Amino acid sequence: MVTVYCCLLCLYPVSYRDEFGEEMTSLFREARNDLPPALLAKVSFYRREFCGLLSGALGAHFDRLLRPAIPFRRFYMQTQFRFPRSTVFLMIVVFAGVVLTIAKASSVAGDTSGSALRTLESALFFVLLTMCTAAAVVWGILHIRRRSGVHRLQNVDS
Amino acid sequence: METFALSEPVLLVLLSLAEQPRHGYSILKDVESMSGGRVLLSTGTLYGALQRLLDHGWIERVEEHNPARDRRTYRLTSRGRRNLQIEIERMRHLTKVAALRMTCKEA
Repeated sequence: MVTVYCCLLCLYPVSYRDEFGEEMTSLFREARNDLPPALLAKVSFYRREFCGLLSGALGAHFDRLLRPAIPFRRFYMQTQFRFPRSTVFLMIVVFAGVVLTIAKASSVAGDTSGSALRTLESALFFVLLTMCTAAAVVWGILHIRRRSGVHRLQNVDS
Repeated sequence: METFALSEPVLLVLLSLAEQPRHGYSILKDVESMSGGRVLLSTGTLYGALQRLLDHGWIERVEEHNPARDRRTYRLTSRGRRNLQIEIERMRHLTKVAALRMTCKEA
């Protein structure tokens, strides 16, 4: 039965098996040795164990698959978290952009001609396009850095 | 309190560890005795609960000098104890409300 148990453990994700596999097998062995001799108790024990193992494996796979998609984990802020210095610069740029947009909108509000509105629309479109391009470039750089492991190498003591 | 659904097995595991640090088999036996033999955890259910609790930082492994990979001891963290306390308060309030409702119904 321990062999069957070990085979069923293979249904779990590898990381889970590495972490808990030996412990689970040992616990199963210990619990089995402690069983009363009655046949009904044995059948009930094996049914419970194997059902628990199957549902546990399913749950572990779901956890593993869904974990990166849970949005709140990404924004869960640790107490030791510090914003990078570039954040201050970016926030100032965004703030300046907002102030300029408000100023421009105020001037357009007084001007009823359609040409000013069209100018503003094209300007906004241009700004949006520029920001999207910049974001894509920054994301690309970060992605490449992460993939190449450069950020990990910085932490390695030579 | 963190958004973490406390199922009965998880609550019993936490209560078991609230008393003292325990390893897997000890938790199984304690849960069985606490529930009067009503809740019998399988190893799959137990380690599923332990993994979630470890991930959330509610419990931790006890550092031992000669750690055996097949018999590790777990204990409640301060965060786990705090959240368990909140859960117990919630249950106490619920019990009080339930008792009041039942009294009103009987009267």
